[in-house]
Amino acid sequence: MSRIETLGLLEEIQALISDKLQVVSYKWLSRNFLVSSNVAKRLLQEFVENHGNDTEVVYSLSGWLKKNPSSYHVRLVSRSMLAEAKGDFDDNCSVQVYSVQACIPKDPAALWNTEFVQAEELFKQPSAVNNCLRDNRFCGISNSFVKRNAEQAPLSIAAPQSKSAGSAGLDKSNILHKNIAVSPPQQTKVQKASPTVSMQSSKSERNSTGTNSHASKPPVDKEIIPPVTANGNKRQNGKSSSEGGGSLANLWDRASAKSKPNCAPAENNKLSLNTTVSAEAQIRAREEIEGMSSDDDGQNANVKRASNGEGGRKRRVVFDYSDEEDEYGGAVNLASPDPPKGKLSPDSKQRTETLLLEKKNLIFDKQKEPEPEVKEVKAAKIETQPPKEELSVVSKGMKPKMASLEKIQRSNLEKDANKEDSVTNAAPTSPKRRKVLKTRIDERGREVTEVVWEGEETEIKKADSHSTEIAERNAATNIVNRPLVAKKTRAVGNTALTNATGKAVNRKAGNKDPKQGNILSFFKQV
Amino acid sequence: MLELRLVQGSLLKKVLEAIKDLVTDANFDCSATGFSLQAMDSSHVALVALLLRSEGFEHYRCDRNISMGMNLNNMSKMLKCAGNDDIITIKGDDGSDTITFMFESPTQDKIADFEMKLMDIDSEHLGIPEAEYHAIVRMPSAEFSRICKDLSSIGDTVVISVTKEGVKFSTRGDIGAANIVLRQNTTVDKPEEATIIEMNEPVSLTFALRYMNSFTKATPLSSMVTISLSSELPVVVEYKIAEMGYVRFYLAPKIEEDEDETKP
Repeated sequence: MSRIETLGLLEEIQALISDKLQVVSYKWLSRNFLVSSNVAKRLLQEFVENHGNDTEVVYSLSGWLKKNPSSYHVRLVSRSMLAEAKGDFDDNCSVQVYSVQACIPKDPAALWNTEFVQAEELFKQPSAVNNCLRDNRFCGISNSFVKRNAEQAPLSIAAPQSKSAGSAGLDKSNILHKNIAVSPPQQTKVQKASPTVSMQSSKSERNSTGTNSHASKPPVDKEIIPPVTANGNKRQNGKSSSEGGGSLANLWDRASAKSKPNCAPAENNKLSLNTTVSAEAQIRAREEIEGMSSDDDGQNANVKRASNGEGGRKRRVVFDYSDEEDEYGGAVNLASPDPPKGKLSPDSKQRTETLLLEKKNLIFDKQKEPEPEVKEVKAAKIETQPPKEELSVVSKGMKPKMASLEKIQRSNLEKDANKEDSVTNAAPTSPKRRKVLKTRIDERGREVTEVVWEGEETEIKKADSHSTEIAERNAATNIVNRPLVAKKTRAVGNTALTNATGKAVNRKAGNKDPKQGNILSFFKQV
Repeated sequence: MLELRLVQGSLLKKVLEAIKDLVTDANFDCSATGFSLQAMDSSHVALVALLLRSEGFEHYRCDRNISMGMNLNNMSKMLKCAGNDDIITIKGDDGSDTITFMFESPTQDKIADFEMKLMDIDSEHLGIPEAEYHAIVRMPSAEFSRICKDLSSIGDTVVISVTKEGVKFSTRGDIGAANIVLRQNTTVDKPEEATIIEMNEPVSLTFALRYMNSFTKATPLSSMVTISLSSELPVVVEYKIAEMGYVRFYLAPKIEEDEDETKP
C-alpha cells in the first residue's frame, strides 16, 4: 500500500467518522477498501496517531491473562480503560486498534453493526462473484483451518470432507475465519471487568450479539409482533432458505392455527417433509426468541429444543469463552441471519490450544458428514444462498449434562441421517438450521462453549400431527430431555385456537399465535 | 406418612375433572397446611392453582412436606371408580413411589383400595403475587360456563370488558359477532344467582376461549365464579371449593392489536 493511498484513506476515515458518525473498524476498512486486515489495522493505528485526540478509540487487547490459570484472552477496551486492562494481561500482550469512532457507542452492538451490514451485502452477492468475504483474501491468519478458496460451498461440499480440510470445508466457516482471523487468536476466557463490560466482550460474543441486534431484536422486543412481521423477519434472516419451496410453508405457518391441520396432509402428499419441518422450525424459532425475551431462564428452552432436533443434522463450531460472558450473551437471543456473521469460529484457540482444536476438528468432521445432504437439497433449491439459521445462546448452567445431551443428539442424528436423505432430496424446501451455544466443562476442567448447528428435520410421518406426536414422545422418553420438557415451552404462549385435534396439533398450533401472552411473563419462578 | 381423609369424596373427583384437561401431569404438594397443586398447561398460557386446606379434611396427617407427581388422567381414572358419596382417603408412605386412594362407601360395606404409581415431574413453581385487580366480577358459574360455550361457537377469542355499565363478553368470528352484557344484579332471591361487579377502573382484555372453556369444567365445584381482571395481569377465574379451598385458573391475555387477524 503506497503512502499516497494511505493518506487518502486516512482522510476518508476521518470523513466517515466525523460526518457519518460511523464506527470504522479494521474489518470494515479491510473489506471496504480492499486492503488486508493487517494494513487496515496499521491504517487505523496511524489514524489514531494523527487524529487520536478528537476520536474515540477501541483497542483490542489480546494476550495471556495474568491470573491463574492463565488463558488466552481478547478484550476490547476503550482508551480510558486501556492501561487498566493492560494490567490484566501478561506483559507481552498485543494492542491493536480495533475501531475508531466519534464516540463510544452505548450499545456495543453498534461497534460491529457496519461490519455486519457489509458482510451481509458481500454475502448476498451472487455466487459467481468472488468477493473478499468469499475467498477470504484479507485474512491475517494462515493455517490449515483457514482456506482461501473461492469455492461456492453450498454446492461444493457435497462430498464428505477430508479430515484436515475439516473445519474449513464450508464456505461459511471460511468466512468465519476470515472475519475473525484478522485479529489474533481469540481468548478463551473473557471476564466482565467492571465498567468496560460493554466494550470488552470477546470478539466471538460481539459477533453474536451483533447478529442479534440485527436479527432477533425485532421479535424480541415484543410478543406483540404480528405473525407476519415475525415471519417476514425470519424470512429475511434466512434470506434464501424460505424463498424456495419453503415459502408455501411459511404462508401456512403464518396462517391462523386453524388452517394448519388442513395443510399438513397436502404437504405430506408431496412428501415435502421439509416444508413441515421448516414451518415447525419457525415456530420453534419464534418460540425461542420470544421465550428468551420474556424470561431469563430461556436457556433451558434452547436446551430442550436442541434435544428436540430429532434427526437434526448439525454442524458445530467449537470455541471457548467464559460463562460470565454468557450471561451477557445469554440475556438476549441471537438469531444470526447469515453465516458470515455466525463467525463464532474455532480459530480462537488455534494457536494456543492446538491440541484441543484438533480434537474439536474431529468432532467437526464427524458432525459434518450428514451435512452434505442438507446442502445438496438446498443447492438444488436455492443456489448459493445460505441456510437459515437461528443462533441462540444457551448460557451457562449446562454442565456436564449437556455433554450427554449432545451425545444423544449425535446419535439421533446419525441414525436419522440415513433415513432421511432419500426424502430430503425430494423435499421442496431447504432445511432450517440454527446454532445453539452450549457451555460445558471439559475433561480438562476448562469451560468449552460450542456453537452447535441444529437441523430441524423430523421423521417422515404420514400425518403432520402424527410426526409431532412422535417427536414429543421421543422427547418425553428421553431421560435427559425429560426434565427440560416442562421448561421448553416457556416461550410465548400458545393460544391454540384450534379445535383440538389432538394435543400435539394443538400445542403446535398454539405456538403460532404470537399474540397470546405467556403466563411466565407475568409470574416469576420461585 | 401421609393420610388425608376427605368425607366429601366427590369434591376430589370434581377437582380432577376440572383440571385434567388443562394439565396432564402435575405435582401435588402436601404440607401441614393443606393439599395443593400448581401447574401450567403445556403451552404455558394458563396456570392452575388448587388448594384444599387441611381443615377441610376429616383427618389430615402429613408428617413432612411432600411433593407427589401424578398423571392427572390416571388419577382421574382411579377417582372415577369412587362413588359420589364415597369417602376418599389418600394414603402415602415416605419414600414410596406410589399413592393409595381408598374409597369407602357411606355405609362402610365396601372398601376399595387403588394404588397409583407416582412419577417424577420437573415442575416449576411460580410465585403469584397478590395483586389489586381493576375489576372483580362475581357471577353464577353456570352462567359463565354458558357464555363461554356460546361464544366459542362463534369466535375463538372473547373480549371481556368491564365498565360501569356492566361486564361485556364479546366475540367475533366468520359467521358474525356476539356481545353478551351482564349488569350488576344483587336483587335476587338466592345469593348464588347474583352478579356482583366491583370496578375500580374500566378494563378490557382478550382471551382465548379455548382456555376459558376448559376452566368452566370446574363449574360443578361451585355455584359462583369470580373473575378478576387487571389490564396488565392474567385474568383469574376462581371457583371456591366449599369451605376448604379453591381452584384458580390464571390465563394470560392475548395482546390486542388488530383483532381481525386472530380471527380466521
